[in-house]
Amino acid sequence: MSYLGDTIAALATPAGTSAIAVVRASGLHAADLVRAVFGATPPPRLAQHADYRDRSGALVDDVLFTFFAGPNSFTGEDTVEISCHGNPFIAQKILEDLLARGCRPAEAGEFSKRAFLNGRMDLSQAEAVMDLIHARSERALAAANQQLRGALGRQVNQLIELLVNILATIEAYVDFPDEDLPPEDLDKVQRQLDELLAGANRLLATNRYGELLREGIKTVILGEPNAGKSSLLNRLVGRERALVSPEPGTTRDYLEERVVIGSHWLRLVDTAGLNPSAASLEKRGIDKTFEQAAEADLFLWVIDSTRPLPGLPETLAARMTPANTIAVFNKLDLPPAPKGDLPKAFPLVHVSALQGAGLEALQAAVTKLAESFHVEIGDELIAVNARHSLALDQAKAALLEAKQKLAAQEPSDLAASDLRAALDAFGQISGKIDNETILDRLFASFCIGK
Amino acid sequence: MIYNQKPFDVIVCGAGHAGVEASLAAARMGASTLLLTGNIDTIAQMSCNPAIGGQAKGQMVREIDALGGEMAINTDLTGIQFRLLNESKGPAVQSPRAQCDKKAYQFRLKHTLELQPNLQIFQATVTGLIFKDGKVVGCRTNLDIDFMGQTVVITTGTFLRGLMHVGQNKNEGGRLGDFSAKTLSGSLLEAGIELQRLKTGTPPRILGRSINFSELEEQKGDPEPTLFAFHDTRGPEDPFHVEQTGEQRIGWKPGSVQVSCWMTHTTLRSAEIVRDNLHKSAMYSGEISGVGPRYCPSIEDKFVRFADKPRHLLFLEPEGRNTNEYYINGLSTSLPFDIQLELVHSIPGLEQAQLLRPAYAVEYDFAPPTQMFPSLESRKVENLFLAGQINGTSGYEEAAAQGLVAGVNAALKARGGPPLIIKRHEAYIGVLIDDLVTKGTTEPYRMFTSRAEHRLLFNHGSAELRLLQHAKSHMLLNNSRLENIFAKEKRVGYWENRFETSTTVGGSWANAIRRDREAVILPPEFAAEAKEVREEVLYRVAYRGYLDRERRQIEKFKHVEKVRIPDALDYLAIPGLRRESALKLHQLRPQNLGQAGRISGVNPADISILMVLIAAQNAEKS
Ligand SMILES: Nc1nc2c(ncn2[C@@H]2O[C@H](COP(=O)(O)OP(=O)(O)OP(=O)(O)O)[C@@H](O)[C@H]2O)c(=O)[nH]1
Ligand SMILES: [Mg+2]
Repeated sequence: MSYLGDTIAALATPAGTSAIAVVRASGLHAADLVRAVFGATPPPRLAQHADYRDRSGALVDDVLFTFFAGPNSFTGEDTVEISCHGNPFIAQKILEDLLARGCRPAEAGEFSKRAFLNGRMDLSQAEAVMDLIHARSERALAAANQQLRGALGRQVNQLIELLVNILATIEAYVDFPDEDLPPEDLDKVQRQLDELLAGANRLLATNRYGELLREGIKTVILGEPNAGKSSLLNRLVGRERALVSPEPGTTRDYLEERVVIGSHWLRLVDTAGLNPSAASLEKRGIDKTFEQAAEADLFLWVIDSTRPLPGLPETLAARMTPANTIAVFNKLDLPPAPKGDLPKAFPLVHVSALQGAGLEALQAAVTKLAESFHVEIGDELIAVNARHSLALDQAKAALLEAKQKLAAQEPSDLAASDLRAALDAFGQISGKIDNETILDRLFASFCIGK
Repeated sequence: MIYNQKPFDVIVCGAGHAGVEASLAAARMGASTLLLTGNIDTIAQMSCNPAIGGQAKGQMVREIDALGGEMAINTDLTGIQFRLLNESKGPAVQSPRAQCDKKAYQFRLKHTLELQPNLQIFQATVTGLIFKDGKVVGCRTNLDIDFMGQTVVITTGTFLRGLMHVGQNKNEGGRLGDFSAKTLSGSLLEAGIELQRLKTGTPPRILGRSINFSELEEQKGDPEPTLFAFHDTRGPEDPFHVEQTGEQRIGWKPGSVQVSCWMTHTTLRSAEIVRDNLHKSAMYSGEISGVGPRYCPSIEDKFVRFADKPRHLLFLEPEGRNTNEYYINGLSTSLPFDIQLELVHSIPGLEQAQLLRPAYAVEYDFAPPTQMFPSLESRKVENLFLAGQINGTSGYEEAAAQGLVAGVNAALKARGGPPLIIKRHEAYIGVLIDDLVTKGTTEPYRMFTSRAEHRLLFNHGSAELRLLQHAKSHMLLNNSRLENIFAKEKRVGYWENRFETSTTVGGSWANAIRRDREAVILPPEFAAEAKEVREEVLYRVAYRGYLDRERRQIEKFKHVEKVRIPDALDYLAIPGLRRESALKLHQLRPQNLGQAGRISGVNPADISILMVLIAAQNAEKS
């Protein structure tokens, strides 16, 4: 929760839209921060050229920075704005470094909120600020959810699960000293802590910006059997990557291939056709299609235009929106069947995967979605990533602390205090973990009470 | 008839652990107070086990003492066995616990009430409340005498439509041998207060003479008892409210014999008996609809949910020095009487045991506590306060704590002053009330240390220091004791500072203590300080890093706690607030942003939006 006494930092420009990204920090310690990074506080409002070096001294980028002394700044507090190259990696690096130096990630709309609370805006703007907070928090939530849908979410949840177990055990011995519990096994706790630390380290190593940017936008090709999905993948990749045949049900397992479309990396995934009356082997393939779809950023829904318009399974229909789905009517070279209406206003293109017609239109449609997509949550995603790294770092530090305490035979209620700090840190990634969760686990695992 | 034309400042209905503290607190604050109880002979009865304190509860009892309550001193004076729990853990989670002489406990409290100036006690059952213009103005009784009061505190425990079960046998009442308050529920409903059902249970009581102790393991008290009340800050002339002279002031004296508890356990045979008869249990046959606590399972629950556990520990607790009755802690059940008998006889040492009272489960009405302000005043009916089990809690200590706060606040309300609100970061009592009014509860709520975010600050020895400002601003303690606590605070501060700043061999005293407390030979002047001072200083020095971290955390959230939410705020009309949050806030109506933030599902962005809105509204007003 926000606190006016601390210093906040965030990306101030949407990433991916311009050649320059601006990272901003505001609050009590902004001037100290400038001194620590750049050596001296320059005169206010004068842009300075300087190298940005992170805490380890490594050069991140050459940047322009401007210091604004409060109250003559946007927020009314001391503020520094750092303009770096628009490369999202650089912006994230700088943001992460500021957080490591003690800034707190700004909450949704917090710069504006501070400006308002510090009297830098007039009353009539209250509603606009409230709307802004709302809109930005929805976007941040969408970005965070997008990350959590993937591997990160699963791994964090596993770590949380383990930590809740450890805490429930320790708390049982603290809160129920008179109960008939098995002897307290602190060695086991040590081993579990090692496991947790290893997990946090793994995540820290992989949690750098953008599965989205580095690994590409996950684009799942789906549709009925024989619609031409595999043919389309081959066409976009430019070679015979997937097996194609006139038999429906050719593709049984998904396969993935990377391509560049416009300026975007795509991870194209070809999937088994959606056949509601599939037999067991084919069904397993279809289950995998659903799994892939659950992690998709973009959908290409391939529709055989020679056949009546197929329906969409409900789970998919819920995830597919005009903002992430293109309806691809295939087999343009054959006479079309009369079509009904699409279930949603998806952008649509007509192609012939066999002959290559309509391919530019498809690429343009993909580029357009991918771009709006980046503008939509790209900058939030950087913030989310920086926030996650910070949280993981904090969790790790707290876990280490607890481990040392236990190794030194200090009372476990003190280690519990560190473990709670770790749990709070994980909670910043996956959502706050209520105290009740620990109590529930405790009462489920131990027979407690008289 | 109407008993009084000039209303009492405070009427307390019910003389259990909540009612006793409520009436004493109100009377001690100078409010003219009436305590109504259905039975004067059961004042402050321990309906469950004859013990006070234990984990988190022990700390809470000391907090009650720090706020001028009676529970701590009463326990010290009537305790027959004292133990400090959790000695192997850090000092913050060590808790005093005492077995009490059940009758002595009651008699001393009854006597205290009788001698309390400003307090009148009367035996009558409250049958309903009298309302006027949406406020409560008095209560009706079964004797057709109406009592008028400016404020009313309801502390009726499990008596509201209480229904006791022994197998298929049902009896109305809140406790075996007592009646049930039926019509009062109707009065609350009429006032728009929602009621729900909870259940709890107690084990059988047996005759000590029929126990074969030779088979059992003994559990003795600590050689050096940890008392609950802060005797160090009480002057020799400090009245104990019941005249006790000289050394006799503390019932237990060093060297006098403490009474023991005894440990036994269930057997495979016990498990068999319970399993074979599950269908006869009131709780398992669907007779009982109320929700029971997770932490206090019936023996049926234990055998069903933890089927692989071969035996369950049981404690035999003596109910007093002058009685041969024992309480079987751990054997709460709602099985029929004949099965109970068989069950008890399957337990080592109890083969020949005679049952004095059967175990039973009790179902009762409670008023979901989110319907109250943090002052424990009802949001629905002005001047009506609720405390204790009626708010969905369990435990004497939880009840007493609420009773104290409700009594103080009723007196303040009658007088026209701002209420006593204890914050979450100040005391377990703060956590208790904040949890109740912001989150509510779905099972009988019991305090655990793990419910407190900052439990490291809640060591039992610091209760007086933590709550000093509240005690002072509402004058809950007499002047001499307040002065003594201030002096104690000074001493603690002095030594804390001296240890941090002055050096001994190899660095500051503080660092030496943190390295190895046992190895440090402390200055002789320090050894001359009172034990309470020494312990607090050493705790603060040894755990400084932790305590500082807790304090920083608190500091961070303090500002949101201070932002008051206007009473009339229409959440549903706030632009940008998510619908889900708006509905929750609308329903729970938190009083400040800190509380709002603790409501599950309300996220930081919602708080930010409220912050901007409230700032804008405040600016507009000025
Ligand atoms: N005429 C025509 N035929 C096409 C076109 N695209 C695909 N086909 C043919 O349709 C048949 C199925 O193509 P696939 O690409 O294997 O279809 P799929 O959707 O991957 O099918 P499954 O893997 O079985 O679900 C093949 O015989 C293709 O040659 C097209 O644009 N025009
Ligand atoms: Mg295929």
